Amino acid sequence: MSALARRVPARPLALALLALAVTTLAMLAFRARLDKAHVALIYLLIVLGGSAAGGRILGIGLGVSAFLLFNIFFLPPYNTLSLADPLDWLVLFTFLVTSVVATELLDRLRRNAALAEARTGELDRLATLGAETLNAARADQALTGIADVIRQTVGVEKCELFIWDSDQGELRRIAESPAAGDAKSTDTESTELLTYVASTRRSAIEREDGTIHVVGDSESESSPALSQSGTAFAIALAARGQTVGALRISAHAPFALAADQSRVLGALAYYAALAIYRLRLERAEETTESLRRADKLKDALLASVSHDLRTPLTTIKGIAHEISQQGQSRATVIEEEADRLSSLVDGLLAMSQLSAGVLKVEPELNTVDDLVGAALQRAETVLRDHPVETDISEGAMIAGRFDFGHTLRIVVNLLENAAKYSPARAPIAIGAERRDGEIRISVSDRGPGVPISARDRIFEPFYRAPGATPDVRGAGLGLSIARRLAEAQGGALAIHERQGGGSTFVLSLPGAEAPTA
Amino acid sequence: MAEQRSDVQTILVIDDEPQIRRLARNAFDNGHTRVIEAATGKEGLDHAAAEQPALIILDLGLPDRDGREVCKELRAFTSVPIIVLSARHQESEKIAALDAGADDYVTKPFSTRELQARVRAQLRREFRSAPEAASRLEIGDLAVDLTARLVTKAGRHVHLTPTEWDLLRAFVTQADRTLTHRDLFVAVWGNVSGDAQQYLRVYVGQLRRKIEDDPVRPRLIKTEPGVGYRFETNP
Repeated sequence: MSALARRVPARPLALALLALAVTTLAMLAFRARLDKAHVALIYLLIVLGGSAAGGRILGIGLGVSAFLLFNIFFLPPYNTLSLADPLDWLVLFTFLVTSVVATELLDRLRRNAALAEARTGELDRLATLGAETLNAARADQALTGIADVIRQTVGVEKCELFIWDSDQGELRRIAESPAAGDAKSTDTESTELLTYVASTRRSAIEREDGTIHVVGDSESESSPALSQSGTAFAIALAARGQTVGALRISAHAPFALAADQSRVLGALAYYAALAIYRLRLERAEETTESLRRADKLKDALLASVSHDLRTPLTTIKGIAHEISQQGQSRATVIEEEADRLSSLVDGLLAMSQLSAGVLKVEPELNTVDDLVGAALQRAETVLRDHPVETDISEGAMIAGRFDFGHTLRIVVNLLENAAKYSPARAPIAIGAERRDGEIRISVSDRGPGVPISARDRIFEPFYRAPGATPDVRGAGLGLSIARRLAEAQGGALAIHERQGGGSTFVLSLPGAEAPTA
Repeated sequence: MAEQRSDVQTILVIDDEPQIRRLARNAFDNGHTRVIEAATGKEGLDHAAAEQPALIILDLGLPDRDGREVCKELRAFTSVPIIVLSARHQESEKIAALDAGADDYVTKPFSTRELQARVRAQLRREFRSAPEAASRLEIGDLAVDLTARLVTKAGRHVHLTPTEWDLLRAFVTQADRTLTHRDLFVAVWGNVSGDAQQYLRVYVGQLRRKIEDDPVRPRLIKTEPGVGYRFETNP
């Protein structure tokens, strides 16, 4: 009864009953002059009016009441339920059926209208939410907004959103509504359930008695099984085919989701999934950005170290010079070591620029004479104990298109390498020729040579020949830098066995025509 | 006092690093030269104006001013040689300093010997560029007579093409100065740019083959990688 009272509004009920009573009394006064059709039409009017104002149940109730009143007061014999003319039954039942059908039709119309209105509301909310999600300066702000909307729309006490951290393989809470701000977080059990739900892309209902009901695939758009009652619902969030997180709504008292709530929840959950997806993208971008900055910092650091190291090195060389002036010839070793340290820093700097791909290459028309001359000058100290034989064609000048500074470093590195592995006073040969439109510069030593198996590895950074004598020093960067500098300007660096022992390194670079004048 | 000043040359060192100043002091405080020091660009400009040094050593990495700017401001009132100190990997900075009026540069870490040699060369050049600016120059077995347009090597006449001759004249008139590639372009071809300029290094190479004993081990025309060339009169 109480349920019925809830479903029939009091005001239309009272009005309808009053109208029924008044019209019945009025019609009774003119009963003799009224036709059956008049009565039926007037009652039908009241039934429809009541049904329109008070709904289906009132309509049907009014129809039945009017049916009885019609029978008792207006169909002879009066004041009984029996009928004199059997055809009157037809009239009565036609009236009843018309009333009920009209009521049903009205009700359906009204429900459709209400549904349409609700859908419009949903659409509005989703549109607003979509706009907010897109407009939020940061994706995590959008997520808090979505959690708010879900909580209000579904009518639960709490809504939490979790992001799936694929690195750690765990879920972390990213937003909640209402903002708790305290540490009373989701308990371990719920977290485990959420993790399970997220990893299997399912939904689950935590029932009041503590049991858990797992609902099949959440892939299927609507999850009808969510209509079961429980104290909390957990739903996997997926976007663009990836599991991105999970959603949990909860209340103290058990609740169930109506079909439309479930549908709205599905749509909102998709928004949440998209927002989390966006957040993950943002974070990935931030990581890339911070990596880029770290890289830049590293370069700046290296450049600064390399720059700042030179002043103390100059001082060291200056003091060593003063000491050697006082007759301590060993002080020259200090000067040489300072130079070695300086070139090591240069090497590291070049290596880091090559690795970072920021090395500038400026090829210009240059001559081999110039290059070899500058290289011999720069490598003067290390070549002190080795005579250098040059074999550069005396005819036309050999010209090429290459970056002078980088190529100078290559040749100096090759000369230093040759000096390093040659026995004392063994000559080093440097030659140049033009062949097939290329220029080829070769540096040959009488060192131990390099076995075929190691010929590629010697160009790897920090590689040291296994048989290298302990006094062969250096970081093992020279050849690696040389090859990469050669390749950076469209050239190549190769090693060959030298006739009569030792190795020959051949640097090839793009050639160029020199003017004849 | 005034007499003493006339034969003791003053070298102004502008560097914020006390160690580098100390090094310069030890290298140049002797009977022939004395050193005055400045730790900032501003101080350096003040000293340069007040003390009229015979030569200035200027660090490009000063804390208060851009070294190149200091160089420009110095050039506004003095023509004494300026040698700049800079770290390697800064070719563009060196070129900018030379363009701003510096005569030479030394790359850190440099040796005292190197710095002394550069300073000596600059002081010699300063002395030489007196009125009767050498129209005739002899270095080893090479003799160059600019007015007669005559070059001999070991007594034998050397034939130069017009371009080579222009180059040699630029080198000789600005001997012991580091000339940037652009300085040489301008000296040979004026301010017009043309195809020939890309061959500058080839012309230098050809000139070397004619006047050097060994073009691969040049003693006269030294290459300053990434910057330009320097003609040395005291190889």
